[in-house]
Amino acid sequence: MIRGVVVGEVWGTRKAAGLDGRKLLLVAVERSDRLVVGVDTLDARVGDRVLVTWGSGARNVLQPGPGNRGVLCDAAVAMVVDGSSDPPAEEGECSSGA
Amino acid sequence: MILGRVVGSLWCTRKHAGLGTYKLLLVRPYFYYDPSHETEQVVAVDTVGAGVGEDVVVCLGAPARWSLGDANLPVDAAVLGIVDRCQLQRVAFEGGAPAREGGPRARPLAPLGAQPPRTVEWIE
Repeated sequence: MIRGVVVGEVWGTRKAAGLDGRKLLLVAVERSDRLVVGVDTLDARVGDRVLVTWGSGARNVLQPGPGNRGVLCDAAVAMVVDGSSDPPAEEGECSSGA
Repeated sequence: MILGRVVGSLWCTRKHAGLGTYKLLLVRPYFYYDPSHETEQVVAVDTVGAGVGEDVVVCLGAPARWSLGDANLPVDAAVLGIVDRCQLQRVAFEGGAPAREGGPRARPLAPLGAQPPRTVEWIE
């Protein structure tokens, strides 16, 4: 899993089955210059720090169980972070300043 | 998943039997993404009917393969949806200014001179 900050949102009417009604968030990966699109189930807002699950495990956030292989998803918000014990980011280290 | 723009398509006559009916799209990602796919363009199977010039969300890796109904297909990228609009914090894209008072400087997501997504609405 990776930590990130929600920096935006994506809307689309034509989506793969299994993602109907799901929000897609733009998440800036913390301490890098990367941005990923993640499915949201926890109603995260812009500015929230989140934990994103990568790869095959992400489908389990949307639909637990062995029958979820048809869900087209490789990144999902698994947690909205309230706090962590690591030191604050240095100048220029954090991707969106949260 | 990654956000990208469809810049073309490709076709071929000799291909794996399981790929017979799928359209292949050339997608240019807007941002840096998975280091194992660090290329300027990625080829993705189209499942939603996207066209050139549209912004799309692309799913990478094994989930892209399974979504086609066959875990044995030689596929690792699939278009998941067509973007109507997206919102993005300007400070996250351009970097520079602190996101909030006293906060650290934001590092730009996009390399210098990169185009923002076509459908973007900025959050100031």
